Amino acid sequence: MNRVDTDITVQVDGLRREFDSKEGKVTALDGVDLQVRKGEIFGVLGPNGAGKTTMIRILSTLLLPTAGKAGVMGFDVEKEPEKIRAVINMASGAERAGYDFISARGNLWFFSQLYGIPTKEAHKRINELSEMLGLQSYLDRKFYALSTGYKQRVTLVRAFINDPKVVFLDEPTIGLDVMTALSIREYILKQAKEHGRTILIATHNMAEVDAICNRVAIIDKGKILACDTPAALKRSLGAPSLVLEVSPPPTPGSLEPLGKLEGVKGYTASTDEERGLSRIQVVVDGDGSAQSVVDSIRKLGMTVVSNWRQQATLEEVFVALVGRGFREREREAAQ
Amino acid sequence: MKLHSNPWLRTAYARLWVRAKSIYGEPLWVAVNIGFPFFTSFSLTMVYRAYGLNSFTGFAILGGVMISFWGNVLWSMASQFNWDKQVGLFEIYITSPAPISAILVGMSLGGILGTAPSAAMVALLGWMIFHPPINAIWPAVISVFALTLASLYAMGMALSSLYLAYGREADSVNEALHEPVSLISGVYFPSTGGFSPFPLAVQAGASLIPLTLGMDALRRTLFFGQGFGELYLDLELLALAAMGVVLLFASSKALKFLENKGRRTGTIAVRQR
Repeated sequence: MNRVDTDITVQVDGLRREFDSKEGKVTALDGVDLQVRKGEIFGVLGPNGAGKTTMIRILSTLLLPTAGKAGVMGFDVEKEPEKIRAVINMASGAERAGYDFISARGNLWFFSQLYGIPTKEAHKRINELSEMLGLQSYLDRKFYALSTGYKQRVTLVRAFINDPKVVFLDEPTIGLDVMTALSIREYILKQAKEHGRTILIATHNMAEVDAICNRVAIIDKGKILACDTPAALKRSLGAPSLVLEVSPPPTPGSLEPLGKLEGVKGYTASTDEERGLSRIQVVVDGDGSAQSVVDSIRKLGMTVVSNWRQQATLEEVFVALVGRGFREREREAAQ
Repeated sequence: MKLHSNPWLRTAYARLWVRAKSIYGEPLWVAVNIGFPFFTSFSLTMVYRAYGLNSFTGFAILGGVMISFWGNVLWSMASQFNWDKQVGLFEIYITSPAPISAILVGMSLGGILGTAPSAAMVALLGWMIFHPPINAIWPAVISVFALTLASLYAMGMALSSLYLAYGREADSVNEALHEPVSLISGVYFPSTGGFSPFPLAVQAGASLIPLTLGMDALRRTLFFGQGFGELYLDLELLALAAMGVVLLFASSKALKFLENKGRRTGTIAVRQR
């Protein structure tokens, strides 16, 4: 792999990955290009099934690309996996990996030994990292006795135990309460800022990307649709988006005419079963198209209970790029 | 380089520590580890005694000792990587620079260390209660015992690759293997040679299992006073050593093959969402 810029820690060129399935070949990544720099927290944002985890697995040497190139710290994932393994670490939010009858501290010491870290140094790192995550007083509990949140903290301490140059995190705060997720985000920020680590986060959590990522690549069906800072992506939409609360909730497919209106870039809808309302977010290019959306909704036989304009979020950026929201995309993928 | 700073040794030692500590993490397991082999040995010893075969009581007690290790090889060695894969530990191993051979050796030594006290307890209780007649050449007994364990755990390493490929069916394979292998390998009675109840073909097949040769060699050295220089014993030791080396080599190659295959097909990790 040719490296020109020494600050580039992750380089992906034309990356493609196919899997065999009963229905034939499934393309998980379809010609992905990206570059991530030293000290950057880089988000890969997309709905479930977009290809995020596949990308992380290729970069962390668990999977080979079908075509294209991927490299970490200048080493090729295909030809030099051993060299990459010495400088990276990875963790998944869904992972609860540990030996049940060993304490959290014992588990972390064990993981440190996989990197050949001297015991004294390992314990020093375990204490420092645990302190940052508020895990200290739980370190001597058996792994099985820890709650989901604390197991997740153990996983995140493990991900940094070897002082890695590049860390891959797959949905690091999935299933966690707000406070735990916040402390984990702070920890990740610190790791990048104070130690200059590159952190690549695959997530479908837009708030997380907005809060901590320097740059984000929006991915759908294995393709990168946009890549920039979260602020620049949101600015690119121009007009604020339109949010409507309507009743009765639309039936599947009944909102399709909205997508054909002039000036509408896309929409996403969710239903609040308790209130019997649906919330429709529409990305529009100006006030004129917002009015035609309201008229169209009324024509479709729904009552607009309330409507307002709101500053664009990353979800609306996705909607503008794809024409649909995460929920719709995940439903489509499941079908 | 100092020994303790060698990454291979660090990994092996850490895996040994985790394995040995986990075995004693659950008091009920300790009771089961000691209790199950002892009760079976106890029953068979009573049967041998009832038929006046006092000289055979030692076979039953030795069987209880060795079945502890066989159980450990099947349940904690062979199926370990598959379990590791299900809970996400295997991908941690693969994405770390740790040599997989060090993990396997650590797992084996930890298993031996963790099982040894239960096995010793079965031997001690059996000896105290039944006083089996012993006519041992101790250096030969110790050598045979060490070689049998080495060969048995090498088989565990090879099976761990096989089970990794088998996936979730590994537990059923274990269930299916446990009793038949115990039977044909002659854990509690001689299954090869003149006393064997099995036809020659079954005996030949059983001899491919390190446990069969190990049990027979242990009986020869522990109860019949045979030592090095006895042709049949020497052949058994040679075969055990060869099996150990071949299985060790095969397991290492198989794991590398499975890692490469897993990277191609995407089967190293179980998708958890």
